[in-house]
Amino acid sequence: MVPLEWFLILSAILFSIGAYGIMIERNGLKVLMCLEILLNSANINLAAFSRENLMGQEFALFSIAIAAAEVAVGLALLIMLFRYMDTIDLEKFDLLRW
Amino acid sequence: MGWIDYAYWIALLPLIGFVLELFIGKYTWKQGGIFANLTILGSTIISIGTLIEVLGGARIDVSVPWFYQGIVVGYMIDPLAIVMLCMVSFVSLMIHIYALGYMEEDPDKSLYFAETSLFTCGMLGLVLSNNLLQLFIFWELVGLCSYLLIGFWWYKPEAAAAGKKAFLTTRVGDVLFLLGIILLYYNVSHLPEPLTFQYIFSLEVLEAIPPTHLTAIALLFLGGAVGKSSQFPLHVWIPDAMEGPTTVSALIHAATMVTAGIYLVARTYPIFIASPGALVIVAVLGGFTALFAATLGLVVNDIKRVLAYSTISQLGYMLCMLGVGSIIGAFAVGYSLFHLISHAFFKALLFLCSGVVLHGLADTRDLREMGGLLSRMPITAIAMLIGALSLSGFPLTAGFFSKDRIIETAYEYGVATGDYLPWIFILLAALLTAIYTFRLWFMAFTGEPRSYLAEHAHEGSKIMTAPLIVLAAFALGFGILQSRFYEFVGANFDTHLIGELAHLGGYHLHHGGEVPLIIMILPAICAIGGIAIAAGIWYNNRVDLSRYISKSNPIYRLLWNKYYLDYIFKDLIAERLFGFVALLAEAFDRCIIDGIVNGISRAIIAIGSGLKRIQTGVVETYATAVVIGVVILILLIGGVL
Repeated sequence: MVPLEWFLILSAILFSIGAYGIMIERNGLKVLMCLEILLNSANINLAAFSRENLMGQEFALFSIAIAAAEVAVGLALLIMLFRYMDTIDLEKFDLLRW
Repeated sequence: MGWIDYAYWIALLPLIGFVLELFIGKYTWKQGGIFANLTILGSTIISIGTLIEVLGGARIDVSVPWFYQGIVVGYMIDPLAIVMLCMVSFVSLMIHIYALGYMEEDPDKSLYFAETSLFTCGMLGLVLSNNLLQLFIFWELVGLCSYLLIGFWWYKPEAAAAGKKAFLTTRVGDVLFLLGIILLYYNVSHLPEPLTFQYIFSLEVLEAIPPTHLTAIALLFLGGAVGKSSQFPLHVWIPDAMEGPTTVSALIHAATMVTAGIYLVARTYPIFIASPGALVIVAVLGGFTALFAATLGLVVNDIKRVLAYSTISQLGYMLCMLGVGSIIGAFAVGYSLFHLISHAFFKALLFLCSGVVLHGLADTRDLREMGGLLSRMPITAIAMLIGALSLSGFPLTAGFFSKDRIIETAYEYGVATGDYLPWIFILLAALLTAIYTFRLWFMAFTGEPRSYLAEHAHEGSKIMTAPLIVLAAFALGFGILQSRFYEFVGANFDTHLIGELAHLGGYHLHHGGEVPLIIMILPAICAIGGIAIAAGIWYNNRVDLSRYISKSNPIYRLLWNKYYLDYIFKDLIAERLFGFVALLAEAFDRCIIDGIVNGISRAIIAIGSGLKRIQTGVVETYATAVVIGVVILILLIGGVL
C-alpha cells in the first residue's frame, strides 16, 4: 500500500504549482487551469485520508462537481471578456482601477 | 372645594384660547377674537371668585415633583398673587374687548388674538408659579410674546426692529436673573431639606447663605427686574415698542409685561431685605429712573412715547417704594403693589384712549398734528383726562393715594437713614409727571385742530369706548380701597419673619414716624402745580416755547437724543465693541474650528490617495498578497512566528 506521505507530497507539489501559476500568469485561461490544479490537490488530500471510511471520497466527489460548475462559469466569463476586449490578458482588465 | 382649588385654570384657560384662536379662530365670528375674550373672561371670573375666598383667609400651595429632587411644578395663591391675578386678568379682559373694535380691520386678527392670549397666559402663569424655575419659564414666555406682538406689523421695518430690540434688551436682564437663580441653587441645594426653588424663604435657609452671596443673588434678581420692568439703563426698548398695535402697548404697560419685574422683587422680598445693601441700590435706582424717564417725557411729540416714558417713570416709583421699604418691612410690598395696580388701571386707560385717537386720526401719533379733539371725541377726551389726573396724582384719584404714600415713605426713609436722594428724585418726578401728562392732554384735546386729520377726527365705536368707561371708573375710585389693600397685601409676608430678616440684612425697621403736614401735602402741591404749569404753557400759551425748542439749546438736544443712551448702546456697544468681539469670534471660528474640521478631512484624503496606489488592478498581485497573507497566518497559528 502506498504510504500516506506520498500522497501528501504529491498534493503539496500540485498546490505549489497552482499557487505559482496564479501569482505569475497573465493569461486568464492558464490562471483558470492553475485554479483547477489547486482544487485537485485538495481533492487528493481528501481521498488520501479516507482509508477508514468513505467520507473523504464523498467530499472529493462534491468538490469535483462544484469545480465543474465553477469552470463553466469561469470559461463563460473569459469568453465574454474576449468578445469585448479581444484579449484574455488579465492586466488589460483595469477599468475600475484609480 | 372652592374656587381656589381650580385656580390653575386661571392660566390654563388663556392657553386654550391661544390654541383655539390659532387653529380655528379664523373661521369663527368676525374672523377671530371670540375664544380669547371668552377664556380671559373665564380667568377673570375665577380670579375674582378666588379673591373672595382669599379675603376669607384661604391659601393654597400645591406642588407635584418634576424631573429632579426638590424641583417641582405647582401653583400658589396668597394675597400678593391673587391681587396680581385679578388685575392682570381684568385689565387684559378690558383690553381684549377693546381690541375687538381696534383690530377689526386687521387681516391677521385671529393671529393677533392668539398671541395676546398666550401673552396673558404667560403673565398669569408667572404669577401663579410657586417656584422660581417655573416663574423663569413663564418669564421667558412673556418675553417671547412681547417680541411677537411688538413686531406684529412686521412689514413695517421700524416694528420689526423694535421687536428685536425689545427681545435683546430684556434678554440682558433675563441672563442676570438666570445667573441669580443658579447662584441661589448653588447655595441652597446642599441644605438638608432642599426646597430648591420654592418661595419658602425661612430664616434658617437665608441664614445659611453667606451675606455676600445673598446680596449678589438680590442684585442679579434686580437685574432681571430692570430688564423686564424697563428701568435705567435697560429702558431703551420701551419707547420703540410703541411700533406695535396700541392694544399691545396697553397690555405690555399695564397688565402683562413690565409689572413682572416689580412682582419678582416683591415676591422675593425676603431675600432682598435679608441682603445687606441691596435695597439701598433698589431705592436709588428706582428713584433715579422715575426722574430720568420723566425728563424724557417732556420733549417727545409722539403721543404713545410720552405714555411709554411715563410707564418707565411710574415703575421707578414702584421699585423705589420696595427699596425705601427697608425701613417699614413687610408693608412695603403692599404699598408698592397698590401703586402697581392703580397704575395698571390708569395706564391701560390712557393707552386705550390714545388708541381711539390714533384710530380717529388715521394712525397719526404726532401731538403737533392734533388739537381740538375735545369736541370731536368727548368720551375719549374725558376718559383720558381722568387717566391723566390719576397719573399726575391729582387729589382723590387712585394715583394720588398710591403715589402719595410712596413719596411719604421715601421721606421717612430719608429721616431714618439720612439719605434723602430717593425722596428728592421722586418728588421732582411727580412735578414733571404732571407737566408732561397735561402737556399731552392739552396739546391733543384743546386749542385749534392743527391738521386736516384732526379736523375730521371721529369718536371710537361703542365696543372701544365701553372699556374706557369701566377703566376710568377704576382709575378714579380705586383709591377707596387703600387701607384695606395695605392690610391685605401687607400681610402677605410674616411680619415677625421680615423683622428678623431685616435684622439679618442690617436694616432697622421704624414704626409710626411723624411726617410734617407740609411734607404730606407736597405731592398734591406738585401735582396741581404741574398741571397749572402745563395749562399755562400749552393751554393759555403764556410762554413762547419756540425759543427753547431748538437744536442749538444743549439741554433740549440732550433730551431729544435721549441722553445719547441709544447711541451708546447701539453704536458704541453693539457695533464697535461687539463688532470687535464678533470679529475675533469669527476669526476663531474660521481658523480654529473650521481648521480642525477641514484638516481632518484633508488628512484623510491625503492618506487615501497614498494608499490607493496599492490597488494596481493586476490580479496576480492580489493573488500574491492573498498567498503571502495565508502563509503568514498559518505560520502564526502554528506558533512559528
